[in-house]
Amino acid sequence: MADTAATAGAGSSGTRSGSKQSTNPADNYHLARRRTLQVVVSSLLTEAGFESAEKASVETLTEMLQSYISEIGRSAKSYCEHTARTQPTLSDIVVTLVEMGFNVDTLPAYAKRSQRMVITAPPVTNQPVTPKALTAGQNRPHPPHIPSHFPEFPDPHTYIKTPTYREPVSDYQVLREKAASQRRDVERALTRFMAKTGKTQSLFKDDVSTFPLIAARPFTIPYLTALLPSELEMQQMEETDSSEQDEQTDTENLSLHISTDDSGAEKENASVLQQNPALSGSRNGEENIIDNPYLRPVKKPKIRRKKLRLKHVFNSLSSSSQRLCPWGAAGLRGRTSHGLTLSLLEKNSRYFLSSSSWSLGLNPHFHFIVFFLLLLPKSCLLLLNT
Amino acid sequence: MPPTDLEPARMNRKKGDKGFESPRPYKLTHQVVCINNINFQRKSVVGFVELTIFPTVANLNRIKLNSKQCRIYRVRINDLEAAFIYNDPTLEVCHNESKQRNLNYFSNAYAAAVSAVDPDAGNGELCIKVPSELWKHVDELKVLKIHINFSLDQPKGGLHFVVPNVEGSMAERGAHVFSCGYQNSTRFWFPCVDSYSELCTWKLEFTVDAAMVAVSNGDLVETVYTHDMRKKTFHYMLTIPTAASNISLAIGPFEILVDPYMHEVTHFCLPQLLPLLKHTTSYLHEVFEFYEEILTCRYPYSCFKTVFIDEAYVEVAAYASMSIFSTNLLHSAMIIDETPLTRRCLAQSLAQQFFGCFISRMSWSDEWVLKGISGYIYGLWMKKTFGVNEYRHWIKEELDKIVAYELKTGGVLLHPIFGGGKEKDKYVYYPEVFNKLLSLASTASSQKFQSHMWSQMLVSTYGFLKSISNVSGKDIQPLIKQWVDQSGVVKFYGSFAFNRKRNVLELEIKQDYTSPGTQKYVGPLKVTVQELDGSFNHTLQIEENSLKHDIPCHSKSRRNKKKKIPLMNGEEVDMDLSAMDADSPLLWIRIDPDMSVLRKVEFEQADFMWQYQLRYERDVVAQQESILALEKFPTPASRLALTDILEQEQCFYRVRMSACFCLAKIANSMVSTWTGPPAMKSLFTRMFCCKTCPNIVKTNNFMSFQSYFLQKTMPVAMALLRDVHNLCPKEVLTFILDLIKYNDNRKNKFSDNYYRAEMIDALANSVTPAVSVNNEVRTLDNLNPDVRLILEEITRFLNMEKLLPSYRHTITVSCLRAIRVLQKNGHVPSDPALFKSYAEYGHFVDIRIAALEAVVDYTKVDRSYEELQWLLNMIQNDPVPYVRHKILNMLTKNPPFTKNMESPLCNEALVDQLWKLMNSGTSHDWRLRCGAVDLYFTLFGLSRPSCLPLPELGLVLNLKEKKAVLNPTIIPEVIAGSQEATMNPSSHAQLVGFQNPFSSSQDEEEIDMDTVHDSQAFISHHLNMLERPSTPGLSKYRPASSRPTIIPQHPSGCDGTPSTKPQWNMEFSRKGTGREQSPLEMSMHPAAATPLSVFTKESTSSKHSDHHHHHHHEHKKKKKKHKHKHKHKHKHDSKEKDKEPFTFSSPASGRSIHSPSLSD
Repeated sequence: MADTAATAGAGSSGTRSGSKQSTNPADNYHLARRRTLQVVVSSLLTEAGFESAEKASVETLTEMLQSYISEIGRSAKSYCEHTARTQPTLSDIVVTLVEMGFNVDTLPAYAKRSQRMVITAPPVTNQPVTPKALTAGQNRPHPPHIPSHFPEFPDPHTYIKTPTYREPVSDYQVLREKAASQRRDVERALTRFMAKTGKTQSLFKDDVSTFPLIAARPFTIPYLTALLPSELEMQQMEETDSSEQDEQTDTENLSLHISTDDSGAEKENASVLQQNPALSGSRNGEENIIDNPYLRPVKKPKIRRKKLRLKHVFNSLSSSSQRLCPWGAAGLRGRTSHGLTLSLLEKNSRYFLSSSSWSLGLNPHFHFIVFFLLLLPKSCLLLLNT
Repeated sequence: MPPTDLEPARMNRKKGDKGFESPRPYKLTHQVVCINNINFQRKSVVGFVELTIFPTVANLNRIKLNSKQCRIYRVRINDLEAAFIYNDPTLEVCHNESKQRNLNYFSNAYAAAVSAVDPDAGNGELCIKVPSELWKHVDELKVLKIHINFSLDQPKGGLHFVVPNVEGSMAERGAHVFSCGYQNSTRFWFPCVDSYSELCTWKLEFTVDAAMVAVSNGDLVETVYTHDMRKKTFHYMLTIPTAASNISLAIGPFEILVDPYMHEVTHFCLPQLLPLLKHTTSYLHEVFEFYEEILTCRYPYSCFKTVFIDEAYVEVAAYASMSIFSTNLLHSAMIIDETPLTRRCLAQSLAQQFFGCFISRMSWSDEWVLKGISGYIYGLWMKKTFGVNEYRHWIKEELDKIVAYELKTGGVLLHPIFGGGKEKDKYVYYPEVFNKLLSLASTASSQKFQSHMWSQMLVSTYGFLKSISNVSGKDIQPLIKQWVDQSGVVKFYGSFAFNRKRNVLELEIKQDYTSPGTQKYVGPLKVTVQELDGSFNHTLQIEENSLKHDIPCHSKSRRNKKKKIPLMNGEEVDMDLSAMDADSPLLWIRIDPDMSVLRKVEFEQADFMWQYQLRYERDVVAQQESILALEKFPTPASRLALTDILEQEQCFYRVRMSACFCLAKIANSMVSTWTGPPAMKSLFTRMFCCKTCPNIVKTNNFMSFQSYFLQKTMPVAMALLRDVHNLCPKEVLTFILDLIKYNDNRKNKFSDNYYRAEMIDALANSVTPAVSVNNEVRTLDNLNPDVRLILEEITRFLNMEKLLPSYRHTITVSCLRAIRVLQKNGHVPSDPALFKSYAEYGHFVDIRIAALEAVVDYTKVDRSYEELQWLLNMIQNDPVPYVRHKILNMLTKNPPFTKNMESPLCNEALVDQLWKLMNSGTSHDWRLRCGAVDLYFTLFGLSRPSCLPLPELGLVLNLKEKKAVLNPTIIPEVIAGSQEATMNPSSHAQLVGFQNPFSSSQDEEEIDMDTVHDSQAFISHHLNMLERPSTPGLSKYRPASSRPTIIPQHPSGCDGTPSTKPQWNMEFSRKGTGREQSPLEMSMHPAAATPLSVFTKESTSSKHSDHHHHHHHEHKKKKKKHKHKHKHKHKHDSKEKDKEPFTFSSPASGRSIHSPSLSD
């Protein structure tokens, strides 16, 4: 497998250069690529110690190689588009390869293996018309592992960078200004977008676009949105909980803060309103001894013995199975299990959206599959048990 | 507050007033309530009750119980079928045939109707006949068990169903149901004796879906599955005798939280809200500890439950061992503003557990004692929790509220001695009056806890006073006489002069006791004088005729240099005395500083004295009073004093907040001489903005709540500033816009939603009326650039709310208000469409109320009939009772027109519509009915609305009394007019208000109080007739009897058999009633045709006033009895309309007319 991939890399770049040279239409191009791939396959076969191969098997191998390369390209493309880029980067390719089950670490060693064969330049049908461009500076020579028929490096000025240093903006005022206007712009753009895509209301009969108001939409359960903190706030709360509120960049704020803290009246007020942090701690220890009528189990109805038996058995069965294996119980009930996986998925995708490592992250579908696989044997197990 | 009746009041009032005498001929000992089916889809309830009673008289053959809107299938007494009549006169107060449209008539009829079914008078809607087989049993006074099967279909009051319209089972949808109502409303959901004075033990059973929880009073004994395992039954036992009115129920898919500190306490909330519930209730155990400590008594019930539900009727409702709260009180740890409010609600409900639920009252006139005691201990909790400043501020607030209320609508009588009305505004507490009383009462009441006698659990005014004198040995009779037996507040006007020669302060205190709502005060009055040498208290005796009081001064007027001045609290301070009058040692004077009298004080002292008082007096009440007074002194010195207070961090934050608004007012008065930046701007910059860049506010940090409240308030006050052109200064607007722009809450531990909402309020405050050029239409093109900026912010905020909603949608609420302000000021075309969409069911209740407020305002400003109809329609049909109540309330406060106003909206159709609303449309909710009456009063006044055609006939024949009387529809307008000018009822007690002056000013006016009694007698007369099946008149009087025995079908699940005596089972169909009768018959027997118009609770107010009136004129009445003979007045046949053009066309001319009592 590794072999193919390595050559594939070489082959694909070969094709690209070949395609550049080809001035013929698609057919010609296709044939040239095919031919190159065949050469690659053949050379790999030779390298592996084969002396001859049937036409059909070479064709099959070529076909496999081509599919593999196409898949890499396709997959890399979608990764780069996920991160809002148009050009795939190395990491896109790496992730693609990883996902296709390829061990990337073996690649450099493989590329530098001693017995490797270098394929000769593909036949050039049409000499490319070299554009007469102003050349500046000395072009860089190819490193040893790049075959010489590959195109030359472009002029140095296209890739040589001269870093310049600018004082990073640290002025408080400017930063605040920037943050404020940026947020405002985002909010404006977002609300305008929402207003454009949905129903709107307007304060002016003659103009609906200057101050578009997103139309009021009644909720079926209005108190939920009104009372529950939004996700953003929750996140914020977690962040501020860990970091001390007092650590503010603006030092004046800090000093003022301390002074107000000292005043007696404020303390009186604050102590009342502040939540008692001891609360959560003390709770856990006592939980198991609480006797509250609402926590007691529901009694079975007093009825004829026969029925009771059946019910009892059924009950204990379902309750014990639930206790033993929540997954399984969920699996038994089709709807619930579906909902479950969905919610898991949601959680994951949310993680994806919020994490900055999105580009390196894994495909949500992948997670779905993993969860599914995790679920499957357990529910099977349960089914077997019952 | 439901006034109920006078009979029991009279009974209780017998000398000594020892025990409680039941108005009923039996004693209720135990009641079982079993609801075995609740259908959320159909909103119906099926169940039965079983009452165990012991007859107290031998010949008991009728048993009256309360029941409204329930459908009664079957009644059995000791397993024998019993005949019954179910008759609810409050369904329709006045009858269809009557074209009377004046409120006096209505309130009399309502009072009669209410007392006809008043449990405190031994009456009820359900009258059960004891089967003859049991008469012997009864004669031996043996126990009777009354078993009643009933059902409830789509109840409009009493029980409220919340069923969200989403997918899934009822539990998944979060559907729930709970009991609610104003005061005693239990009769709305099961038959009972709906009185606070009839106590019994309870067994409660509720069978609900297995995914749901039923929470009710008492201990949960067990929970048992039904046979099919789909449902479970909750069995509750309440062994502490409890009144039916304190029984409650909440069923829903609640999440259960056992209080981590007190395991007997359980909290319930709707799905997904558990984290909020945990935080919200985490404080409750401290309240428990506090109350138990000050009362030195344990919480009376063995458990306590709090339930948080949606679409609450009131925010807090306390019932025996459980309280029902609005779910909107729940909050997370990030919310600052809601936290103290919610904690107050929790504490309030808990105080009512002790007094109100556990200890009940004997009669309506004793209600104030319980409200007062619970309010008092709640106040003590507040003092301990929020500090003395907050406590005193609260007292001051409540005092101001009641003073304003009584001055506007007339006095509130706590406990009438004579007549028999009783009234008390629910929202008013009298903590100060009770101050002395109640600390003793807590001791006294705790003794009661040990008593085994049930009647000991009822408190009456007299019993309460007796225990006070027993415990303390003090005689508080004068106090009671002044405040409990009389209504009204005291109005003092004070001024002073300093007599240098005698070194005496000559204080003059005048009283106004002639205007409505005031009374004369005689007794001690504390005056505190701050002199150079210290603060001195003097107690003056206010007597009948003395106005002047000489108070010797302690300090010599020459001042010692550089000496510190001692204050009341012992503190010594340096003062700059240069502003003082050189001759006088007086710094400031306060009258009744402890607020121990219900009073309004207007005191005159020099501006510098107010300024000293503001700066140096340590009492927050004094500081606020001086802030209020300084508004009248727009001088640089006042400005300086206010600014200093604003900066003073030791100062109470509420004082600083009100200083902001005062400063804005002063700045506006001084606009031509004002120097420097706009008021408060530099202060705000110094306190809340970055040092390096003063136009940028610091990132939010609300750790210090005091600064937070100040930071919130200052911009709102600043926006009220106006320049010489009466515009908001550009500088201020830019400043506020910058605050919004640079607002950054990322590092804050608390939510900034209230802060942002206030910034929008500030923007709205900055709006001034648009300059309109010859009535051009408002379009975008001629939009004022400042307004454009404001609108931009509002649009963005409102749209962001859709994406990231704020807690309780405070920002949406502020945006809606601001948009209405822009509309009203002519910047944006006035249009209610936006508000109407936000007012729809399905939005959060705060949003709906804000939107409705805007529509109400639009209705008034634009005089839109369409919107008024839309509002009235919502009053009748909205699913949420609170919203319906609020609309009525807002319409009353901001009426589209009033009675003295010409308005195109005022027409006959509207009168009929409103009349119908209060007459029959609101029979399921006392509060709503009162609201409708209030609105009717505001729009049309007491007498016949002017837009109606003149009544056709001046005199009517009263066939019953065999005489003719003046047609009551043409009560002279003047009478009402003279009083109404001064009052504008605003709460439930309003009828009290308008009737009071009436009673006081016109003894001879035509509507005599006999009417009440007459109609009562009339009704009871007919009631008696109804009860005698053999009465020949029955078939004639009661149309229902023409289709005899409408017995509802028994549902299949109910194994009932048809009643043995069908003629006794009747269900009144209101619509059918009376229609079939000839007009003549109708006019003859209006009361009979309307089965007992029953008044009820909310009528309280109106009823009270009647009684009040009654008591005022009791002595006169005897003399004039011969004169007041006109009885129930009935209008005559309308055919004679044209024949008799009566001369009383002008309301004014009618004033002098006394209806002559013509005999037939």
